[in-house]
Amino acid sequence: MKMTVDHDITLKMAKAAQLRVEPENVGQMMNSINDILDFCALVGDLDCEGVPDFTWRMKKRPSRRPDVPENWPDRELFESKAPTFEGEFFKTPRIIAEG
Amino acid sequence: MTRQIVIGLEVHLQLLTKTKLFCSCSTDYIGHTPNTNVCPVCLAVPGTLPLLNDGAVALASRMGLGLRCTIQNYSTFGRKNYFYADLAKAYQITQYELPVATKGYLDIECDERTKRVRIHHLHLEEDAGKLVHPTADGRLTGAAYSLVDYNRGGVPLTEVVSEPDISTPEEAKEYVVRLRQLARYLDVSDGEMESGSLRVDANISLSNADGSLGTRVEIKNMNSLKALERALEYEISRQNKVLDSGGRIVQETRLWDDAEGVTRSMRNKETASDYRYYPEMDLAPIVIGDEEIEGYKAGMPELPWEKRERFAKSFGLSGEEVSILTEQKELAAYYEAVAAAGAPTARAANWVRMEVLRVLNELGQDISDFLVKPEALAELVTKIENRELSSTIGKEILDLLAREEMTLDQALERTGARAGRMSGDALGELIRRIMSEQPDVVETIKSGQDKKGAKLKFLQGLVMKEARGQADPKETAGLLSKFFAESTK
Repeated sequence: MKMTVDHDITLKMAKAAQLRVEPENVGQMMNSINDILDFCALVGDLDCEGVPDFTWRMKKRPSRRPDVPENWPDRELFESKAPTFEGEFFKTPRIIAEG
Repeated sequence: MTRQIVIGLEVHLQLLTKTKLFCSCSTDYIGHTPNTNVCPVCLAVPGTLPLLNDGAVALASRMGLGLRCTIQNYSTFGRKNYFYADLAKAYQITQYELPVATKGYLDIECDERTKRVRIHHLHLEEDAGKLVHPTADGRLTGAAYSLVDYNRGGVPLTEVVSEPDISTPEEAKEYVVRLRQLARYLDVSDGEMESGSLRVDANISLSNADGSLGTRVEIKNMNSLKALERALEYEISRQNKVLDSGGRIVQETRLWDDAEGVTRSMRNKETASDYRYYPEMDLAPIVIGDEEIEGYKAGMPELPWEKRERFAKSFGLSGEEVSILTEQKELAAYYEAVAAAGAPTARAANWVRMEVLRVLNELGQDISDFLVKPEALAELVTKIENRELSSTIGKEILDLLAREEMTLDQALERTGARAGRMSGDALGELIRRIMSEQPDVVETIKSGQDKKGAKLKFLQGLVMKEARGQADPKETAGLLSKFFAESTK
């Protein structure tokens, strides 16, 4: 089934994605999303009758691990790679957006 | 008008696993240097993959069984998107559509009746890290940036979501007390609200005039049972005032401000779509086979309500006695050990719930730290039952045993109670000595000026003190009266 978004849904999506969109750009964003949805809908036109599921062999990982602690020895690495670090803490912008 | 109050609670319990939910970092983070219990997985380093902790599945299943839920053979994880830096991935791994346990209940006692609160579901999720705001009061307001400690990030939580079956703040408190007791009995969580290992969010609404459900408000930031009760009472009052004045309730999340005693609007309430839940493709579904569930069932300990029933039947105790003795399973085990060591069960129950709890409170100890061995208390209580010791000296002995490592014999020696109870001639001799030491008091009584008997009581008190509580008060009073009667003839 083909999906489309309207002006209001576009605004809602922008809010959920924490994007600020100027009123004059909402139409352009809506068209872009609808283009993507149109492209996705093309997949639905494919005739998959009788086509087996796409599967491949892989080494099976265990889905659970035992509850045994292990220390990560290289903490300094995180500190050195962090964009900003203050004292013992990672430093971040105080908040990205209010929900 | 009277509106029906509708409350549902979401209780987060930190699970007592040794490691985090999806990595092998230790969960022992309280008091540790920030960002030391971290690894590439809980810091969301690209290319790492989560791997589920088997212990967390076991504890969540056990809690689910304790709440009489159905443990699901198949459950899945999802991503809950989120815009704070306390989770490095910018999403929380949680269970959404298919939780680990569903449809249970917890019975609570309120106003001398039993109420059943239905459990909608119980799911597993990871905890967030801790944000520290570099302002004087530690609040976000005014902070130029945030500091993050990820030691707590990834610690396993189970969230227990009730149906909106709770009707009063008292019921809400009782529900949390019973849930916490169950979690502690099952060794699922320590349930400490102060340290944040038990957190409660409340959803509350007042019914509309036509009886339909009103608009729901979520309250967060209640860090104690008292805060939960106060926040709900405040919110009921606030919503009633809004509705009485013709206003409407806004669906929102409000924060409880304990210092001011008010709830404050935090943000408009999110709906599921705001979180953009998304299947967690890095984790296989949790598959719990019937055999595994049977194993969890077989490993279930005696539950609080089962213990209450057994204590009432086996030891012939009242509801109130049983309730206090079984509040903590460690205290219940202590009482059972005292009874098993041969103590009379009724008197032992009285001593454990009154005196043992008093001493623990004075010393700021848990029963696990208590120096008095159950066998020693059993012997002490038996001596009191057999009237070899008075209750007064018994309390003194218990205080000694709880403060210093010594045997009961040593404590009897130290308190001078080894000689046993004082009565008959020995007591008579003591009374005569005290009377001779208080000639003015004796004269006042003899001359009939002690109308209210205060002087006689004073003498009796001196005798009891001198006898170190080993004299029977009735016998003492009788002998005193007899001596005065004889001396005035």
